[in-house]
Amino acid sequence: MSISLLDTLLKVWNNSAFPVITWQQVVMICVAGILIYMAIVKKYEPLLLLPIAFGVILANLPMANLMAPPPADGSGTGGLLYYIYLGVKLGIYPSLIFLGIGAMTDFGPLIARPSSLFLGAAAQLGIYIAFTVAVVLGFNPQEAASIAIIGGADGPTAIFLSSKLAPELLPAIAIAAYSYMALIPMIQPPIMRFLTSKKEREIEMVQLREVSKLERIVFPIVVTIVVCLLLPAVAPLLGMLMLGNLFRESGVVQRLSDTVQNALINIVTIFLATTVGATAVAEVFLSPETLKIVFLGLMAFIFSTIGGLLLGKLMCLLSGGKVNPLIGSAGVSAVPMAARVAQAEGQRANPANFLLMHAMGPNVAGVIGSAVAAGFLLTMFG
Amino acid sequence: MTLMDSLLVSLMGFAIVFLVLILLSVLIKLQSLVLRYIMEAMGKSTDMSIVLAEGGTVLAELPEVRDEGWSAGELKLIGVDEKTAAMIMAIVSDESQIPLSELQFKMIKAIDQEI
Repeated sequence: MSISLLDTLLKVWNNSAFPVITWQQVVMICVAGILIYMAIVKKYEPLLLLPIAFGVILANLPMANLMAPPPADGSGTGGLLYYIYLGVKLGIYPSLIFLGIGAMTDFGPLIARPSSLFLGAAAQLGIYIAFTVAVVLGFNPQEAASIAIIGGADGPTAIFLSSKLAPELLPAIAIAAYSYMALIPMIQPPIMRFLTSKKEREIEMVQLREVSKLERIVFPIVVTIVVCLLLPAVAPLLGMLMLGNLFRESGVVQRLSDTVQNALINIVTIFLATTVGATAVAEVFLSPETLKIVFLGLMAFIFSTIGGLLLGKLMCLLSGGKVNPLIGSAGVSAVPMAARVAQAEGQRANPANFLLMHAMGPNVAGVIGSAVAAGFLLTMFG
Repeated sequence: MTLMDSLLVSLMGFAIVFLVLILLSVLIKLQSLVLRYIMEAMGKSTDMSIVLAEGGTVLAELPEVRDEGWSAGELKLIGVDEKTAAMIMAIVSDESQIPLSELQFKMIKAIDQEI
């Protein structure tokens, strides 16, 4: 038997994936490169964008078949990511992420000022405007609802809803949602300055009242019972959010609270982000629909900010200037980024202004608001 | 789905989000009133778990801190040395962009728990 070096190299080449890779897959790998750059260099939501981007690379490597389902005749097994992706498909990961978020969230500012909930509701305006425009642009109601939820500025909620209503759009929606959340410090301030006067931005708000431990413990129980009875579809997200919060506030399950807000949420984030990225295959992602989703997502974000600010201005007027309207912009649920932006803008107008805790109320109300909006859309189109 | 249908769905959806959150805000207010009434009736003061700084920033859950009797002029230091206190005052001045000479600190207290 004679072995030729050239023949061997040719054989390796022919058996490799290089000859079959398409230009679309190369483009997708370049897109992943840009996302990795944004995550590492620009620090845009690196915890999510980095695994998403790597998932995009894995999904676009021909012959790797990481997302391949098992053969129908049961003669083999599917790809690794196919099985991990089941957690997204079945809505498990977003709910587990909500469990961790609940354990990390302090609802104290919201309990101290329940009117914050109105701002959290107003900041869902973008969802419904984007929904209508998406329908006009030719998306079916399920797709339009999935795209519109980007305006809720809540990644797990967007993934939860689109995995149920329009799984084919999931990668574009997830990437758009997380990218815009990372860009909040650039998107919101110009709108905030345009819609508010300097005098309004300078308003200092009075200190929040004390919140007792008992109130904090009762809060997640009451919210779960009331909201899940009203909108059962929202139970997986809101139920987990409130369970996590009860872990935190009860003070008797420190180990569970610590696990869900650290180890569990980190593990689930790896599974969720990598597999969501792995659904971004070239044939699906490189389409005019993706550009429309990017446009609609931005529009939803902008209108959500506007909705929160306008109600903030109304509350400012009704309260005789006691409410700084900037906290309305924090009603988009990106926690705590949106609240930090409100704090920064308030302090920019008045260096003695401390809006962070006041903005945290609408901010966490936005999480509940976007979950309720998702529950409504799921009830309508699920 | 027609434009009118989508507008109707949007209006209904927005109204439902508002209604649910308004309902929640009413419940939270009621809950606070009832719980405070119960606590007062039981003769207990509610367990304070949030302490806000003068500017409105949450510091942390405050456990009982032993007064170690440090003092620097009119500023009382509890569990904090002068060097750390000076650093904190400089940071507050820098963050708030208010000259240190215009700020008046009354007390700096060390806390054990994480924020």
